[in-house]
Amino acid sequence: MNPKLLQDLLMIAPMAALFLISLIPLTIKVINFNREPKAFFTLIYGFIGLAFAIGLTASLEGTKKTAFSNAVIMDGISVWGSYLVYGITAVSLMLAFDHAATRGKQFAEFLFLMVSSACGMVVLLMANDLIVTFLGIETMSLCLYILVAMSKEEVLSKEAAFKYFVIGSFASAILLYGIAFIYGTVGSTYFPEIAAAAPKLINTNRLFLVGFAMVILGLGFKVAMFPLHAWAPDVYQGAATPVTAFMSTAVKVATFASFLRLFNSEALGSAPRILEIMQWLAVLTIIVGNIAAVMQDNLKRMLAYSSIAHSGYILVGLIAAGFGENFKWGATGVMFYLFSYSLMTLGSFALIALLEDKEDIKVNVQNLKGLAHHHPVLALSLSVLMLSLAGIPPTLGFFGKFYIFSAAIEQDMYWLVFWGVIGSVISVYFYLRPVVYMYMSEAGEDSRIKVTHYQTRFALIASAVLILVLGLFSSTILQAVQRSVENMF
Amino acid sequence: MLISLLVFLPILFALIVLCLPVKMVRPIALVLGTFEFILSLGLLTAFDKSTAALQFVEKIPWVPQLGINYFVGIDGLSLWLVLLTTFLTPVIILASQESVQKRIAGFHAALFVLQTAMLGSFVAMDAVLFYTFFELSLVPMYFMIGIWGGERRIYATVKFFIYTMAGSLLMLLAIIYLMYASKEVGDGQMSASLLDLYQLRLPFLAGQLINPQTLLFFAFSLAFAIKVPMFPFHTWLPDAHVEAPTPGSVILAGVMLKMGTYGFLRFVIPLFPEAAEYWSWLFLLVGVVGIVYGALVAMVQPDMKKLVAYSSVSHMGYVIIGLFAFNAYGVSGSLYQMLNHGISTGALFLLVGMIYERTHSREIAKYGGLAKALPIFTILFFIVTLSSIAVPMTNGFVGEFFILLGTFMASKALAGFAVTGVVLGAVYMLWMFKRVFFGEAGALVKDHHHPLIDLNLREICVMLPMIILIFWMGLFPNTFLNYSKASIDHFVKNKDNYFLTIAEKKPTDLNAQVTSVLKILEAKK
Repeated sequence: MNPKLLQDLLMIAPMAALFLISLIPLTIKVINFNREPKAFFTLIYGFIGLAFAIGLTASLEGTKKTAFSNAVIMDGISVWGSYLVYGITAVSLMLAFDHAATRGKQFAEFLFLMVSSACGMVVLLMANDLIVTFLGIETMSLCLYILVAMSKEEVLSKEAAFKYFVIGSFASAILLYGIAFIYGTVGSTYFPEIAAAAPKLINTNRLFLVGFAMVILGLGFKVAMFPLHAWAPDVYQGAATPVTAFMSTAVKVATFASFLRLFNSEALGSAPRILEIMQWLAVLTIIVGNIAAVMQDNLKRMLAYSSIAHSGYILVGLIAAGFGENFKWGATGVMFYLFSYSLMTLGSFALIALLEDKEDIKVNVQNLKGLAHHHPVLALSLSVLMLSLAGIPPTLGFFGKFYIFSAAIEQDMYWLVFWGVIGSVISVYFYLRPVVYMYMSEAGEDSRIKVTHYQTRFALIASAVLILVLGLFSSTILQAVQRSVENMF
Repeated sequence: MLISLLVFLPILFALIVLCLPVKMVRPIALVLGTFEFILSLGLLTAFDKSTAALQFVEKIPWVPQLGINYFVGIDGLSLWLVLLTTFLTPVIILASQESVQKRIAGFHAALFVLQTAMLGSFVAMDAVLFYTFFELSLVPMYFMIGIWGGERRIYATVKFFIYTMAGSLLMLLAIIYLMYASKEVGDGQMSASLLDLYQLRLPFLAGQLINPQTLLFFAFSLAFAIKVPMFPFHTWLPDAHVEAPTPGSVILAGVMLKMGTYGFLRFVIPLFPEAAEYWSWLFLLVGVVGIVYGALVAMVQPDMKKLVAYSSVSHMGYVIIGLFAFNAYGVSGSLYQMLNHGISTGALFLLVGMIYERTHSREIAKYGGLAKALPIFTILFFIVTLSSIAVPMTNGFVGEFFILLGTFMASKALAGFAVTGVVLGAVYMLWMFKRVFFGEAGALVKDHHHPLIDLNLREICVMLPMIILIFWMGLFPNTFLNYSKASIDHFVKNKDNYFLTIAEKKPTDLNAQVTSVLKILEAKK
């Protein structure tokens, strides 16, 4: 084997190790005449794989290397993003183990699919090339389509999976079409070469512009950017809660990192029209997400719309990074926000998972009535998460917004930030609703949690504690993110 | 260390209270609250009256990347507000015994967290740190109204939260803008420290809205105007007050509203002097409108608590016009009136709460002839009423007199209108007093199935410190004003070019004392 190939393989070793280890439970199952191995052991294999992946990624940290003739890179963003994706996968697996909708005969497959999807995300994070980006997105999405459908008895999940699959395929097609246009005009699919050619092309070449817009749309679909957000509530509601937790966080981490690579070009600074459109899209994403969330009773739908709104905030940071002078500060804001958003969202979904003791249950905000009476610690944790999602200091969510807004204000994008603020004010209303029901209504029987699920409780409480502690010491996280962005290509 | 201790001890108290068995909560909380108050008296003894500089300063980097520090300090402007907070907390704990019956530990924990937030916003000298505490104060108050409040508590508390949050988010944007602007002064680093922000000279165009200083001025003003609350942003206040439990009302009126006026004093006027001067007419006008409007609306309220709530709107109008008169009389009057309002309106809410606990009604029409039934209550209520309508010898007189004097020097016409507020204040308070305490016994008073019982020892103990303060502040205002005089003079003199320095540490700290004692001992040998 030639040494170059070995080096290249070393770069993707974390992901490869994870993938191979996730195959073990499935293999055991096949050898064992399709008898499901104990779910606990399956979970342990998943954790071993993730531990390997995290350890190997840590050994690659700060290398800033490319592999496979520049198609794949390992820089600060990929490392930081990989940590996030692995962490999210670990928490989602914790929620899935024992959960009513995912426990059962197919946990080995479930684990394999979720881990493969995570591998797809890591490919997306490491992609330095539009083709590899496409590969990553497809690997990630195909696994997700199945995961959404895997909740067996639920009709909604089939509908959701189908919807997601059909619309997702359209989005992939658009993305691919855009890639073709860009390749046609630039003659390359490498991000650096596109970035180098873009300043000349962006204001003169219509084909390039169309291609660029299509790529933005294709990626925007994955993060539920307005007007491509309509699938999110249905899919988030239909999927099993652990899957929803996984896709509402990890997909965003990977896709926004890819967005950052696409926007890391000086060309955008001289493209006021794209800026204008992106600004409108960001504003509408924020407003639509927040206003629609106000009207939701179903907690998963509420969080789905809130995740649309949060995509809008991240878009604000992305626009500040791409169209402003100071890419690094904007990118730092984006990556920091992704971290805080993932933590808050995973915790919130953990509580929903706890309330689902049967497979076809719908958790409405009314189900939280008197939760504080039955489970004071869990209620307090959810309150912290909700306040953090609303951006009340000194939680991590506040600092996420603070850094994003400060990046946008540095670029004089007051208009954009103003709408972000309006959105935040609206969001306070629906984030406070669960708190109102938990603390301020008479205790109902609905909210008595019937399942033990210690690991899910742990995930909820740990995320709340982390949000408070890391909020108070946000500068350490900020420093880590800044270092990873400095280390970006 | 003293300030940090004061600010963060309540958090520890909150945790302690949560771990206690229910029976122990009230006495222990009272002890802890009193301990905090006694500790805060340490500030008075160590405070140097002669300087306008910041004292007890502590500065630790918080988010060094953006120049945000944990930066706290006290000067003459904030000293008394800190003490007001620590003073009212034990009073509230003692007063809450009847009105708070469920989730007692949670209530006291919320109260202590609120105390941290309020103290933090008064001592914070870093804009982001201030914002953090300012917003944090919403959360415990939100729970307080929402859990222990009245019928429409959820509507009231959500309105309170969203209203205040809406105002303060624009302030956050303004703070971020100022932080970027601060690169121009000092060492070229971003800074959120107020001392650096004071040095900014922001471009200002008189008569135009779209220029940095004016926009920032209004962004900050909106946040504080909602908090104060100034007319026409006051609509959350009556709802919040009426629905809040008595202790919540006391802390809301007593301290939280002052965070708004303190914000004007600490941020708006020093940071944006030209805009503040140019737009002062607006604030004087709105302040006077608030005084008269609040008084007129208070007059027709059938509900005692709502009446007191609207009287708050009226009283806070005085504070605003005093501040925007920009002279030493006005500003010191305003500062004094903030304390007065904390004491007298707080006391009024306590008294209304006490009668409500007996009859479960606050409707004025149902009372009458209370004076015969409850003599002690009547006397106390009368004293507080006098303080609220600013009768000489009570604290209210000193504050309103200074404010009106200051306003008179700034604008004679507006001072004339403001004076009508004093008269109207007397009208609504005395009229209410007459209807409740004199005349024929009302439905609730002559109800023989539920005979009314006069105040017990605990309730008298709650009121006594308030009454003492009413007279002390009315008769010897200089005990209080002396501490803030240097700061206020500095504030007025350097209004267009405000700056603050950090006081040098006095040699009389503990080490020096110990060494001096050692020297004396050695000499004796």
